[in-house]
Amino acid sequence: MTFHRTLRWLTTLLVAFALAPSLGAAQQHPPITILINESPWLAGFEVLVDAYVAETGHEVELNVTPFPGMLQRSRNAVTASESEFDLINLNEQWYSLFYAGGLVTPILDIDPEFVLDPQVIEYAYATRWNPDIGYSTEDGALYGLPINGNIQLLFYRSDLFEEAGLSAPTTWDEVEAAAQVLHDPPSRIGLVTRTAPTDWEFQSYLRGYGGSVIEVDDDGQWRVGIADPAAVEALERYIQLNRDYGPANYASVSQAEALSLMQSGRAAMAHVVGAAAPNFENPELSTVQGLVQATIVPGPTADSRATMSGIWVMGIPENLPDARKQAALEFMRWALTFDAQMLYARAGAIPVRQDVYETLGQEDGFGWMQAMADSTPFINAQPRVAEAPQIITAFADQVAAALLGQVSAEEALQTAASEIHRIMVAGGYDVAPLD
Amino acid sequence: MGRLLDQHFPVVALAPLIVALLVLTVYPALQLVRMAFSDVGIVSGGTTWTFVGLEHLRTLAEDRTARIAFTNTFIFTIVVVPIEAALGLLLAYLVNQTRTLGAFYKTVFIVPLLLPPIAIGALWRLMLDYNYGVVNQALLAIGIAGPPWLASPTLALPMVMLVDVWHWTSFMFLIFLAGVASIPQELGEAAEVDGATPWQVFAHVVLPILKPTIVVALMMRTILAFKVFDVPYLLTGGGPGTATEMINIYIEKVFFQQFRVGYGGMLTLLTALILSTFVIVYQQLSRRAEAAR
Repeated sequence: MTFHRTLRWLTTLLVAFALAPSLGAAQQHPPITILINESPWLAGFEVLVDAYVAETGHEVELNVTPFPGMLQRSRNAVTASESEFDLINLNEQWYSLFYAGGLVTPILDIDPEFVLDPQVIEYAYATRWNPDIGYSTEDGALYGLPINGNIQLLFYRSDLFEEAGLSAPTTWDEVEAAAQVLHDPPSRIGLVTRTAPTDWEFQSYLRGYGGSVIEVDDDGQWRVGIADPAAVEALERYIQLNRDYGPANYASVSQAEALSLMQSGRAAMAHVVGAAAPNFENPELSTVQGLVQATIVPGPTADSRATMSGIWVMGIPENLPDARKQAALEFMRWALTFDAQMLYARAGAIPVRQDVYETLGQEDGFGWMQAMADSTPFINAQPRVAEAPQIITAFADQVAAALLGQVSAEEALQTAASEIHRIMVAGGYDVAPLD
Repeated sequence: MGRLLDQHFPVVALAPLIVALLVLTVYPALQLVRMAFSDVGIVSGGTTWTFVGLEHLRTLAEDRTARIAFTNTFIFTIVVVPIEAALGLLLAYLVNQTRTLGAFYKTVFIVPLLLPPIAIGALWRLMLDYNYGVVNQALLAIGIAGPPWLASPTLALPMVMLVDVWHWTSFMFLIFLAGVASIPQELGEAAEVDGATPWQVFAHVVLPILKPTIVVALMMRTILAFKVFDVPYLLTGGGPGTATEMINIYIEKVFFQQFRVGYGGMLTLLTALILSTFVIVYQQLSRRAEAAR
């Protein structure tokens, strides 16, 4: 009896000793769950996660959600008593809601020693938030870490350009000159742009021409700039190029349609998201494999080119215990290293490091990454206030109406300006009256 | 005790149902009303509700897209419901007259109703695609350059209506077929003996008997048509521009893309009020139809 009792006691002690380190480790590194969107770069993200798990032994679970459900799931997570996700993937168009509402944790609150590697591109400070003016600024606090570096590029058919003696366009005039030569509908169109929705691509024209949807000065006063003469000029150019050299349905081209026109060899140029590049090189999807090159999105002049940020950032919900926040940050710290980002990029994802773009840009099959690297100085921000989704809808609808020829460019932008002004006033911003 | 239970048995028996109804219907409806007059913000770990009175109605008065969405939805409903009813009734009457192949026609005509709306949206979107769609490919084969069906501001709404008619006529057909089949054949035969033409039999015998069924079918379709979402969302996303923006598509944008929960609540409440008005009107019509019988 005594022997058995002693044996049981010893067994319990041994089991406790055996489990103690793993329990400690589990407490130090609790498993993390990441809310991630279903996308063409998901496979790359999965490779990244697998490598992290293999290297560290920490557990990571992915909750893959289609794009339309991402905002709602993120919102549900941060309003629960404790978030079910340790990292939420926030889109360019709505991260500001989460930063402004204090729904994600400032990174330095988790680790005061955290330093963002300067090679990590901040995409016009989509990573930061300045609560004093309610905007992403260079001196804002670090709230999110980029995980997908979507920007726009201009893709062009290198074989057709070479044949016609054309070089990669740097201005919209050069785009038009090339389109005049290569536009031969219905077998081939000169330029295809995603126009459904209109907002993202149009903004590269807008910023290139020196316009802006909204802007804030150093004193925190806002101004709605979307009806300025520069903006009208930008919209007129955007309409003219797409109407004259686009497909017959130029006013309602979805991303899938724009890509399929390029992949099937029916477009000479495409102004679309840089992440489309792997599609053109995929022999199962593309008939123009090896014939598509990329360059920076043109502008009115080569010096005033602009590409728009459309990135995803990872945020760590505020409603998490410290250990989970630490574990989430540890994953992101690792995911942003050069080696991890190289792995990520090779697996088909869109990295966020300048040195990765520059390194891979020299390799066969990754030439478009050099265009991504070259585009970094031209990256511009979309409106980044908590009301951004409303503002974007307001001008996207008007740009679409102008593109359809229902109203003039000037009328469309004036209507958009009034609507945006109303939204800003209702949001409590100090906004200058409309001109 | 036993007598008391006997006296109040109906109340006791209905109590669980009444409680369930209150919890599942009245409470959400009250929450919707509260939402419509509040600003709902999110904070870490919860939400904040601030009473704003009629603020959202003022916003609605200035909201151009909401006006367009309500107008499009009214036009859509007014056009598709009568067409679906007329086609459904005609098909039901003809199929009921058919001596052969009746089962075949019934099966064929209800197929669209059996397809999930997602599949219908995807199917028609592919068929009507400007560049690769089978419709334009067929037109091209005979030398005609097809138009951008879903990308033209003048064609997009009619195309959405066409797909809806294709989808929902089968629903009307099914309801009317049951109604037509229940009419005793002798009535029609007696009218024919009295010299009535087939059209007169239809207009003066079949239609009056079917009136209550028609009113109920119209009411159901009007409600469903006004709540349309899936097909236009999949076909055009409300575009091009706002050409096919329906109120439910706009409400989805307001709630889930723009995060304006309070304003979305007001739009939903208004939609519910419009639908309630439809129901009241149809109930009146239904009573009159019953009285006329």
